[in-house]
Formats: sequence, structure tokens, C-alpha cells
Amino acid sequence: MQKRFLLFAALIAFSAPAFSQKFFTRDAKVKFFSDASMEKIEAVSKSGTAVLDAASGAMEWKVLIKGFLFEKALMQEHFNENYMESSKYPDATFKGSITNFSDVNLNKDGAYQAKVKGKMKIHGVEKDMEVSGTITVGDGALKISSEFTVKCTDFNIKIEAAKVANISNDIKITVDATLNPMKKGN
Amino acid sequence: MKRIIYLLLAVAFAGGAIGYYLWNKPHVDMQSAKADLAIDAAALFNEYSADETAANAKYLDKMIAVSGKVKETTKAEDGTVKVSLNTGSDFGVLCELDPLSKHPRTEFTEGETVTFKGNCTGLNFDVQLTRCVEVK
Repeated sequence: MQKRFLLFAALIAFSAPAFSQKFFTRDAKVKFFSDASMEKIEAVSKSGTAVLDAASGAMEWKVLIKGFLFEKALMQEHFNENYMESSKYPDATFKGSITNFSDVNLNKDGAYQAKVKGKMKIHGVEKDMEVSGTITVGDGALKISSEFTVKCTDFNIKIEAAKVANISNDIKITVDATLNPMKKGN
Repeated sequence: MKRIIYLLLAVAFAGGAIGYYLWNKPHVDMQSAKADLAIDAAALFNEYSADETAANAKYLDKMIAVSGKVKETTKAEDGTVKVSLNTGSDFGVLCELDPLSKHPRTEFTEGETVTFKGNCTGLNFDVQLTRCVEVK
């Protein structure tokens, strides 16, 4: 009896990795847009990473702040030095999981609306956030796109009174990524 | 009185010109920029794996020349080219070619030894470098 149980336990242990398939990308495009009365500012990073656990719907995103490219060099400088303090806080992360996972079938081609709840960390400040997006399953990959807004004030990013007309407190963020199955079990 | 007005106008004009220049200050020209330091891809990756904070203090925002063997080259639909340098680990040093520079070539053979110079932006699975150009 005990032997059989051990065999069963071993089977479970060894077969588990097959079920916990992970999807990964290092090419996530993260764009942000500030639309203030005097000025529009946008910047993009094409090297965000994302890991999604297909078994649980858990996901983790990370983008390096110094990897954002702006049209104007001076804006990029100010963004890094004055607002994001990117030498002190080099990355932004989001860790969460899909809350309506029963509506999302990652094994069947199609487009699904996903709601994700988790912790957003920007400028060293962590905040609970709920974000929605689309997951398109096809060709063995997951295409994820999302658009949401973050408030500078929520993440302790201070905009001087003199710059209020230039930089919006509401920053629109768009994310586009194609996640492929991770080759190894890591 | 007139002289003071002229003087004020001159100062205002100079201020405006400086402001305009700063506003339109171009991005650093990567081809002619000098690298702050040169390092091997594996050594850079190992330093980051061992202690990210210490490595950031040393390399973050520095223009570094990284040498290594090409593991993989990817080209995105929008034309973005990334070259991954082998470090003996699952992850490596990921060099994103500069969208503002002209590149003599964007094709690299797996296993060939190359050197890229770019801005080190930190650790995100790979050590990432942006605005890279090849150094011959």
C-alpha cells in the first residue's frame, strides 16, 4: 500500500512540470503617454519581460526604466533624473494573476478578455491595481495587449507646479507582448 | 534708457537661444561616443547575477562596450534588432540596436565574436543594453 502511494506521489511530482507550462517574452513593448494641456510626451521600451504560468494564470512583468526612449534627449534626462529617479529605482514591475481565469482557455485558439489583479510597483512604491486586457491564443503563443492609466501621485512621482501644464498626472500605459512557451523548466 | 532696453533684449534673446538649444538637444551620437568601459559578456552577466545592486552602481547608465559570442539575433516586425550574447547561462547580455543610428549590418552569425557598445539599463533576466552599435 505504502509502496503504491510512493509510486503515485513520484508520478505526480514528475508529471507536475508538464502541467505548469510557462510562457515568456523579453520583447514586450511598453509605451506611455502623457497628454497635458501644453505638451504631449511619449516614450517606449521594447525590452519588457513577462512570464505567465498557464496553470494558474499568475503573471509577472518587468521593464527597466532607463530603457525608455524619448524623442527628445532632454525629456529622457528629466524623466530619469527628476521624476523616476531611475538610478535608485531601476525598474517597474507588476505581479498579479488573472481573476476570471475560468473564462480564459489558454489551450484553445481565440481572443479572451482577461481581468488581472495584482501589485504594481513604480518608483519604489507598490500599489494594488486591477487591469484588464486581451489575451489572444494562437500559433502556440499568447498575444497580450492592455491599456491602463496610472496616476503619478499614486507612486509618489512629484510634478512641480510649474510643470503641471506640461506633464499630466494621468499617464496612459499600453502594453503589447507575444509570449512563447518557455523552453526549459525554469 | 535705450541702451538698457537693448541689453535686456540681448539677454532675453540669448536666454531663448540657450533654452531652444537645450530643448532640441539631440541624443548622444552612439557611433562617435566613447565607451566608459569595456567588459566581457559573461563577466558582466556574472556580476549582475551575484549582486544586482552592486552591479547597477557600477554599470547602470554607463556606456559600455560588451564583447561576446552571438547566441541569437531577433528582428521584430517593427524592425527592432536584438542580439543576445552568450554567457553560458540561460540568459545573457541582450543588446538592442540603436533605432537612431545607421548600422553597417544587422545580421550576425551564431557563435561569431562581436563587440557592441550601448547604454546599460540593468538586469531583466538578461543584462540589457539599449542604443547599441557594433564596434569594429
